[in-house]
Amino acid sequence: MKHKSPLQRLALSFVLGALLLFASGHIDELRAYQGAQAAIFAIAIASIVLLTGYSGQISLGHGALMAIGGYASVIAQLHWHLPYPLAFIVGTAIGALAGFILGITAARLRGPYLAGTTLALAVGLPSLANQFKILGGEQGITVDVGTAPTWIGKEFSQYRWFFWVAVTVALAVFWLLRNLLSTRYGRRWRAVRSNPTAAALSGIDVGRAKVLAFTLSSAVAGLAGSLFAMLLGLVAPLVFTLTLSFTLVTGAVLAGVSNLGGSIVGAVVLVAIPELSGSIASRLGGSEKVTSNLPGVITGVLLILTVLFAPNGPKLPHRKR
Amino acid sequence: MLASRRTKGGIFAAATIAVAALVASALPAHAETGVTSSTIKLGITVPLTGAAAPGYNKIPGAMKAYFDYVNANGGVNGRKIQLVVKDDGYSPATTLSVTNDLILKDKVFALVGTLGTANNEATTRLINSKSVPRLFVNTGFSGFADMKKYPTTFPLFPSYATEAKAMGKYLAENFAGKKVALIYQDDDFGLDAIKGFTTAGTSFVAKIPYSAFSQVDPTTAPKWVTALVAAQADTVIMFGVTSATAVLAGAIYKAGLLGKIQMILGSVGSDGTTLKGLLGPLAPALAGTISASFLPSASDATDEYITLFKSINAQYNAGAVFDNNILTGMNTAMMTVQALRAAGTSPTRASLIKAIETKGSTWASASLSPILYSATSHVGYTGYWFGKLGADGNAVSADGPGKYTLYSTDSGSGPVVKAAATRPAMPAKGLPTN
Repeated sequence: MKHKSPLQRLALSFVLGALLLFASGHIDELRAYQGAQAAIFAIAIASIVLLTGYSGQISLGHGALMAIGGYASVIAQLHWHLPYPLAFIVGTAIGALAGFILGITAARLRGPYLAGTTLALAVGLPSLANQFKILGGEQGITVDVGTAPTWIGKEFSQYRWFFWVAVTVALAVFWLLRNLLSTRYGRRWRAVRSNPTAAALSGIDVGRAKVLAFTLSSAVAGLAGSLFAMLLGLVAPLVFTLTLSFTLVTGAVLAGVSNLGGSIVGAVVLVAIPELSGSIASRLGGSEKVTSNLPGVITGVLLILTVLFAPNGPKLPHRKR
Repeated sequence: MLASRRTKGGIFAAATIAVAALVASALPAHAETGVTSSTIKLGITVPLTGAAAPGYNKIPGAMKAYFDYVNANGGVNGRKIQLVVKDDGYSPATTLSVTNDLILKDKVFALVGTLGTANNEATTRLINSKSVPRLFVNTGFSGFADMKKYPTTFPLFPSYATEAKAMGKYLAENFAGKKVALIYQDDDFGLDAIKGFTTAGTSFVAKIPYSAFSQVDPTTAPKWVTALVAAQADTVIMFGVTSATAVLAGAIYKAGLLGKIQMILGSVGSDGTTLKGLLGPLAPALAGTISASFLPSASDATDEYITLFKSINAQYNAGAVFDNNILTGMNTAMMTVQALRAAGTSPTRASLIKAIETKGSTWASASLSPILYSATSHVGYTGYWFGKLGADGNAVSADGPGKYTLYSTDSGSGPVVKAAATRPAMPAKGLPTN
């Protein structure tokens, strides 16, 4: 068996990208919006897969890390007047910084203690927005990055442009991560995940590997947060709720936690569930109470089925050994 | 390695699924979005679930009831009105996502009565980019009257700044020398009110902000009471949603301060029926409470609008208890019907907006205040009356049934004018003839 080279992967990303961007011309705006949302969720879920699936650390607080990235990018746009691509880099960097600090703590914690710490972050962090005026309080800060550059075309809707941006960034992130995971860093993380003691005996600095994984994961989450802020045109405490953090973990479980490519499946499923439940509810003719609770039910059932029957994620076609 | 090979296959499979999902739908074209030869489709976002839902969740039902009444009487230029209702749980991010659905999937002609200041702000970028009319938003944030920032948005309710200025004058007349405290929701809703109080020159012994939803925390209301006692307040003004107002009333009552601290409620959280329901056995906590309103008292049997809306409610809105929320919903629906009629026999989004700007000030409405719409103003109502909550929870005018003293002003620095309210007669059977 042979690995694909980084160049082959790059070619694959380009083909995929071209395919999706071509598709964007043939879908309506709602689908473009959902596609952008799915791409952003895929990035966020990938950050969890990277952390949990590859370095064996757990985080229930990635919604908060997205918030850090989102707020940082919006503030960079509004107060430092940076163009939004640069603001995304700021969001990513601040996310990485937060992840580094958190990672130092995280490397000393295991299992439920780490889960608890990151959970506390998800619960507590959004309320910080009410403490500082620059963060816009409860109703948050609105931002509008505008539409596509005019040379791309005049009749280019904002959501279609967001779809392009999100898909392009997502493919770049997946390409980078995929390559990174087949370097010695990826191998170290897997060694640490499988057996920290054996990894340490093999000369791997376990703490350092864990902090690095946490930092990288947070950077990716920060980037996802920046993109999410672009898509919604809004950062607010109520955007980055505990529910978002749990949703991402759900997506990671649906993806099969140690399966980077599965993140895409997880993200598409998360975006499709409200849509699906909406059409089921309208077919059943149920009341609004049913409609508003159905997504939760479907997510829960899917989660249970996944854990029972496909704990490593959806069965994906793969070549013979 | 196994993992990496599976992953690459995974990317292909996932991409196939993604593309298939994305190209799954195609859209048919319409002459004007949301309008057919026999229907007009409207949309609303409102909290039906969650902490902010109590009371407001009755509004869509009331609007539907009035629309059904109009539909049963011929509709609008032969078209039946449909209302698509979306629950946003009062969360701005959810509001945006369900508004996406309303505009891009359900393809509504216009939004009407969308609730919440932050919620409406979150969807503004989308609304503006599509030039979707947003009629009679259920918020009093004065900023929404800014025609440059919100060209397709029409506030109907008087602004919170207006309300605070009116209340400032009322306080100066009736509560001079009292130690007044203010509790407010810490976003543009509350800040707009503070702007009005500052203009009115009202001084407070304490200003207590709270963040939306923090009322569900059982420690929040006791903290308010502690702060009120510490400031030796004998009067408290509440600018919050109904559920927050209820926990304040309950906490004052439980602390044995009923009668020692006078509650004065902003119109947002003042629906007595909902408050009574939320308070349950603590309902006596509302005794003596004063509230601000821009619609007549829901218990005013002499008011022709109240009488009509009650009969529509009985016929088309089975089982709902008539209160301010029902009144608000039906009044908004009645304004909407007139706007749609005025937009012409083949209405467009542009003609709808133009109709409100040019003719909106002449339409029939239950409110005691005039309507100020014009080509240069998107301000709706301008005045409030103040009354004590009666036994059934509805505010009662001190002037007697059918008589109201209105405090009118603007959102800026204009004076507060106090006058007896007058209102044109209702069209026959409450069916607009404009």
